Amino acid sequence: MHPRAGASLSRRRFLALSTAGATVGAAALSGCALEVSTGVGGGSGETVTMMVKADDITPELVQQAQKDTGITIERVDYDITKLIAMLTAGNPPDLVRGVGATDGAYFAARDVMQDLDPYFAKSDVLRLDDLDPVNDLWRYDGRSQGKGPRYGMAKDFSQDSMFWYNTTVFDDRDVPYPAETEPITFEEWIDNAKRLVRRSQGQTLVFGGSYSGLTRTTLLATMTASAGGSLFNDDFSKVDFTTPEARKALAWYIDYCKLKVGPSLIQPDPNGWDGPTFQAGRMAMSNSGYWLGGMINTDPKLAKVARLAPAPVFAGGARISACQGGTGLWMPRKAKNKDAAWRIFEWYFGEAPAKSRASGGWGIPTLKSLRELMPAQEDYQRRALQVQENELKHFSVVAFTPYATADAIDALFSRAAPAAMNGQMSVDTLAKNLNTVINDQLKRGKEQVG
Amino acid sequence: MSVDQISSVADRPRSSADAGRTRPARRPGASMTARRHRAFYVFTSPWIIGFLLLTIAPMGYALWLSFTTFDGISPNWHYVGLGNYRELMNDSVTWDALGRAGLFAVISVPLSIIAGLGLAVLVNRPIRARGVFRTLLYLPAVVPPVGAGIAFKNVFDQNSGAANGALTFFGFDAVGWLADPYARYVLVMTVLWAAGNIMIISLAGLQDVPRELHEAARIDGASAWRTFRSITVPLLSPVLLFQTVTGMIASVQTIMPMLLAPLSTPAGLTTVPQSNYTYMIHVFSQYFALGRYGYASALLWVLFVLILIATGLIFKFTSGVVFYNVDPEAKK
Repeated sequence: MHPRAGASLSRRRFLALSTAGATVGAAALSGCALEVSTGVGGGSGETVTMMVKADDITPELVQQAQKDTGITIERVDYDITKLIAMLTAGNPPDLVRGVGATDGAYFAARDVMQDLDPYFAKSDVLRLDDLDPVNDLWRYDGRSQGKGPRYGMAKDFSQDSMFWYNTTVFDDRDVPYPAETEPITFEEWIDNAKRLVRRSQGQTLVFGGSYSGLTRTTLLATMTASAGGSLFNDDFSKVDFTTPEARKALAWYIDYCKLKVGPSLIQPDPNGWDGPTFQAGRMAMSNSGYWLGGMINTDPKLAKVARLAPAPVFAGGARISACQGGTGLWMPRKAKNKDAAWRIFEWYFGEAPAKSRASGGWGIPTLKSLRELMPAQEDYQRRALQVQENELKHFSVVAFTPYATADAIDALFSRAAPAAMNGQMSVDTLAKNLNTVINDQLKRGKEQVG
Repeated sequence: MSVDQISSVADRPRSSADAGRTRPARRPGASMTARRHRAFYVFTSPWIIGFLLLTIAPMGYALWLSFTTFDGISPNWHYVGLGNYRELMNDSVTWDALGRAGLFAVISVPLSIIAGLGLAVLVNRPIRARGVFRTLLYLPAVVPPVGAGIAFKNVFDQNSGAANGALTFFGFDAVGWLADPYARYVLVMTVLWAAGNIMIISLAGLQDVPRELHEAARIDGASAWRTFRSITVPLLSPVLLFQTVTGMIASVQTIMPMLLAPLSTPAGLTTVPQSNYTYMIHVFSQYFALGRYGYASALLWVLFVLILIATGLIFKFTSGVVFYNVDPEAKK
């Protein structure tokens, strides 16, 4: 029987309506009191869109996420142009891949990132006291990187100025191995590279070494810091390559390219990165951090001859060993499924995938509690770990500008620098040219950010 | 049943309700014309809608962007009027890139047309396994450009490429093919490698040349070269004009240098050698490496206008030498 309008309320109907009202009220109140989920268990049954590279989330991990959290991950290939289109359309992914060192401040300054502090505050998986300092690359206070709210987190990290070397190539050329506890100087690195390079009929059979950083911009900013200076001014709105410290860094890098001891813009490596060339024994030194151990550990033959060395220093300069990457995830401010996204965020950085990454050797875990999982079963793993642990004492953050992407500055560098690399332009002229074009870009960026 | 009878059946009222209505008198020709118009619009509407949504609307949006400082995500972008256009007029990098694109077009278009036509003449002859040769020569044209780029990068790599392998085998020094100044030659080679496209179109044109004209020339004692020059080429001239125009447009818009670049990041794609830093690489760099959507849109609009002008000039200067079997201006 259906109740008619105006009919008196039956007891059963009164109870049903009261229950519904209480449920809605409780939900509304809990919504007021708790804007973010408590973490574990949130978002089950929902779908989270992640814009990442294929290696970041394998199909097996997607299945595992479904099993562990009840959340379906929909992976979208990372593509900056697509990301910008999605952000512009107000329909961004729920989680996005990013490089903490260079993307963090850039996107935060443009107000497209979600402040994750309330989520971290309530999380039992990602505790603030367990976070490695490298995660500060994902903090931005509106002026500088490293302070203020957290906008993302690194999945693992390395000190990207370190380098691996191949003992077989050193033995072949009778060059002494670099020390594993004390850094060599940049000048010694170049001297070694010159002795190690092997050429024939205009072809480079073995590269003496590769040293180009994660990006040219982060490399030069870090090297300038090693020389005792700063590439950026105080408010990160300008670069100055003409200061003695920045010029020293620039001159060293141009010299490295000009000598053609390793891959560069004027002598590209067709592999696009050092891994395959180093693995093939065609590169004596590779400027890669601890993370390259992930690849080295899978090749026992290579593992026996590959050793990790500290980041070089300038003679008499400070020992600076920065992370130039800190790749991880961030959540767009307009993400649709924030609670479910946070649950995946917790799972990705603090649960099964994080443990798997830590034990694989593809970088240092970003939770202190996962350090004990770093691979140390074999001699070569223990040796690399010891060098890395010693290097961590010299870890520092070299802050990056929020007014331009590393890609933008790299593109400008790539246009201006080859003339100097080919010896058609002096380093001083290049420094002035770089100041002009890069500062124009930073000026435009500052106007955009407001 | 005669035509008149069919017409009277068609005009008969379908029901008693129709019978009571009075219809305005219609001219028989007008209804047919209206139906034809309607059919024309119905059949062309998918293309027209696509053209409006996917060509005109984006072009309009790009035009609007070209008057702004929009960078994709920043909140404080501004309307700058003709500021971007004024900037590009004084931007030497832009004009150098345009010059390189023009030079590339001037070199690659005639070479690829000559190569394509030459191949077409060869595979038009009655030779054995002609179909196999046609297929083999056309194959490179169907290889995706990304695949072609990777193949060329590997073949011309300084240290491990086959090209230098051959040079060093014969005692020569290796060449840095993918760096300045040789990179431009590799770029032209990638275009010539895919000349099969032009070959197919030229082949179709060759097969359309009336055989009796060749026979008449032969009877008159004309040599093969004279026949080719005085009969084949004039009759192929509309095809050659088409290839010149589309080739010119494609070559100034080429992104092939990017596929030969050492890195695949947005900034990496622009790390092409200076000699291959053409206009579209500059545009890509402004859009996706520097995030200058406004300026890049202005660059594209300028290119669009320049292509229109160049196309008009090609038509103007070739009007006296292109021979049409059918007058293209004739009324149907």
